[in-house]
Amino acid sequence: MKKITGAFALLVSIALITIPAGAAELRVRIGSDVGNLDPARIFGIENQTVASHIYNGMVKYDQATNKILPDLATSWSISADGKVYTFKLRDGVMFHKGYGKLTADDVKFSLERVLDPASKSRYAGQLAGVKTVEAPDPLTVRVTLEGPNGGLLNKLTDFNQGWITSRKAVTKIGDKKYAMQPIGTGPFIFDKWLAGNQVRVVANKDYFGGAPSLDAVTFRIIKDETAAAIALENGEIDVFFALQSPPVIDRLKKASNVTVLNRVANHTINLVLNQTVKPLDDILVRKAIAYGINREALIKGYFKGTKATGYSVITSSFPQYTESLPQYKHDPAKAKALLKEAGQEGFTLELVTVGLSPYNQLVIPIASDLEKVGIKTKITVLERGAYLQARGKGDIMTCITGIVGPPDPDSPLVSLYATKSFPPGMNTSRYNKVDDLLASAAAEQDPAKRTGIYQQIMSNTMEDVPVLPLYADQLFLAHGNNVKGLVQNSLFTIQAYPISLSK
Amino acid sequence: MGITVIGMVTVVFFLLRAIPGDPATYMLGDYATVESVAALKAELGLDRPVWEQYFSFVRRALTGDMGTSVVTGQPAFAEVIQSIPWSAALSISGIVIAVLVGVPMGVMSAVRQGTFADLFVMLGALIGISFPVFWVGLVCILLFAHEIRLFPALGASSSSDIFTQVHHLMLPALVLGFSVAAYIARLTRSAMLEVLGQDFVRVARAMGIPERRIVYGLALRNALIPVLAVIGVTFAWSLGSAILVEAVFSRPGLGSMILKAVFARDYQLVQAGVFVLASAVVLVNTTLDIVYGLVDPRVSVS
Repeated sequence: MKKITGAFALLVSIALITIPAGAAELRVRIGSDVGNLDPARIFGIENQTVASHIYNGMVKYDQATNKILPDLATSWSISADGKVYTFKLRDGVMFHKGYGKLTADDVKFSLERVLDPASKSRYAGQLAGVKTVEAPDPLTVRVTLEGPNGGLLNKLTDFNQGWITSRKAVTKIGDKKYAMQPIGTGPFIFDKWLAGNQVRVVANKDYFGGAPSLDAVTFRIIKDETAAAIALENGEIDVFFALQSPPVIDRLKKASNVTVLNRVANHTINLVLNQTVKPLDDILVRKAIAYGINREALIKGYFKGTKATGYSVITSSFPQYTESLPQYKHDPAKAKALLKEAGQEGFTLELVTVGLSPYNQLVIPIASDLEKVGIKTKITVLERGAYLQARGKGDIMTCITGIVGPPDPDSPLVSLYATKSFPPGMNTSRYNKVDDLLASAAAEQDPAKRTGIYQQIMSNTMEDVPVLPLYADQLFLAHGNNVKGLVQNSLFTIQAYPISLSK
Repeated sequence: MGITVIGMVTVVFFLLRAIPGDPATYMLGDYATVESVAALKAELGLDRPVWEQYFSFVRRALTGDMGTSVVTGQPAFAEVIQSIPWSAALSISGIVIAVLVGVPMGVMSAVRQGTFADLFVMLGALIGISFPVFWVGLVCILLFAHEIRLFPALGASSSSDIFTQVHHLMLPALVLGFSVAAYIARLTRSAMLEVLGQDFVRVARAMGIPERRIVYGLALRNALIPVLAVIGVTFAWSLGSAILVEAVFSRPGLGSMILKAVFARDYQLVQAGVFVLASAVVLVNTTLDIVYGLVDPRVSVS
């Protein structure tokens, strides 16, 4: 046996990774590998979680309340016509790894980089309407808009396009390589990425908000949720990020040394009905589908109560949330009557979805509900690449579209309901009746009045049901009881800065 | 040998491009515009005819350049190299366990054909073949990492301590090893039975040579030839199973990396990964061909 152990030792010695022992290191489970930490191109919750430790935005969301707070900008003023935003930057903020002091020019560079077609940013559309970004002095940034946009601050929060990079760093490292050599101003500094295994960030002792209490955070890639749960119970990891499987949630709730947190997310999962395909152009048919699907049973049965009701695409984590909207409580008789009225009994509805759990599974109870009210169904499950291509063509009858992003009401409303959001985009229903309301919401400066307009949009779209919210996502997170100070946000990320570890 | 690798990489090159969904659409995601997709395609060279892409790939590959990952912007080969030690450690230790367990079990059950021990070993082998490794892996985690805390639940450690590393590797290696051992045991048994029934064994027995020497000195040596051939095949097979073991035990490795790259349509990374994987399989099989010569003098390496 000794010989065999010796042989093993020899074999694995090539796979050695060195990490200094004895430091306060938080170990966080992530479900899949990271690959791109460049704010202009970043996507995926794992990348966003890691990046949120490295970067700051001009402003940030309060993790608990989603209120917008100062971050790199200490104050800002808006011109009377709502077109010019002037930001004052915090003085003395330093970029990581010796890339110097943050100046207004870095902000100008970061935002212009997202807007520049050459950088092929995923988020250019988020900053559409920004005419110029100027840096009149090193600590002043002036953003001029083509028209007033009351939602601009939402676009400049510490998420995706809002994260500020260093001009010097991107230029020196190179546009492509920067993806895995990110430089920010945040509480943690990117240390290293071991493909398929882990990403590590170390404390930024000079952070402007004060040095973090942790020395480092390691994000471990653990695909299987059961294995991750056991690792958490055994103390091999400290935080279980992206906890989703109902049986695993149940198991962890019973564990004595673990705390399970949950919160309604900004996300909804929606059945999008393509109005260019008959008979979905008929509002009666769309309403029949809405009444025909037992969404409560889906939440209670399939998801074991781990999801929340989707009253509209604006979930309860948004300040604009309301439930006084047209609702479609499960009513098979009404669905049948509506189909009869439309003269569309027994038509075939094709349910198209991506081959990822839970989407490929939840279409089955949906199809069975619809069959019961007399709609024939056909389920088509496509691999992600093929699904994106099919959805991009715009001729599939339905699709299941998840909306994720910051608590910015424009993010779900514009993406799903604006005419400009297809093609390309996610308005595969081709809904076109709230464009004016969306424009007036953007132009409105008074927050209370803006909320009113958004609620009108929610009401109109739920009346027309081009999109049926199947459920609102709930985020689950588990951590060992040695973790103190973790605040769960409604984005699909976690922030380790306020965390400390007790022995 | 080289032809096999070139063939594999070529097939993969064209297969990849036949899958619907291109990297540009994938990378730009939900908010892509027609212009940005076209621009990214042009940058990645995907707007050119496939055969033209192929020749430029071959030209670059000949100079040792496997391209850049479209996701991370890093050289594709660097990421592949990073995952080789993980895969090698798992596959090799798995095969070593499989041979150490499978061959003696097969010999024993052949010598005691029809006894309770034979039945027991063959039943065990049947279970080993029938139960998928990812299921066995999960059960082992529940059993050995939770109920009896003998091993960690994670099959990879970030510690620099060699014993911690080995401790983490043990459970995945055992799971992979036993599933491969099941094949090897069955094969060794049938090869041994065939050899034990041959004339030269009967003559040896008649000459009064001790049974031990007949079994291990004469029969096993002859039975090993087909077994060796199969070990080569099972090595390729274990690399495939290793993907499942890697997923269950959260281990990095070539298999998981290629799978991730396929989902992301990271063509360059897939190609670099397959190149290394194909080379490894060819290398192991060639080595075994040479080993035949040592076991069986009739076979010579020409």
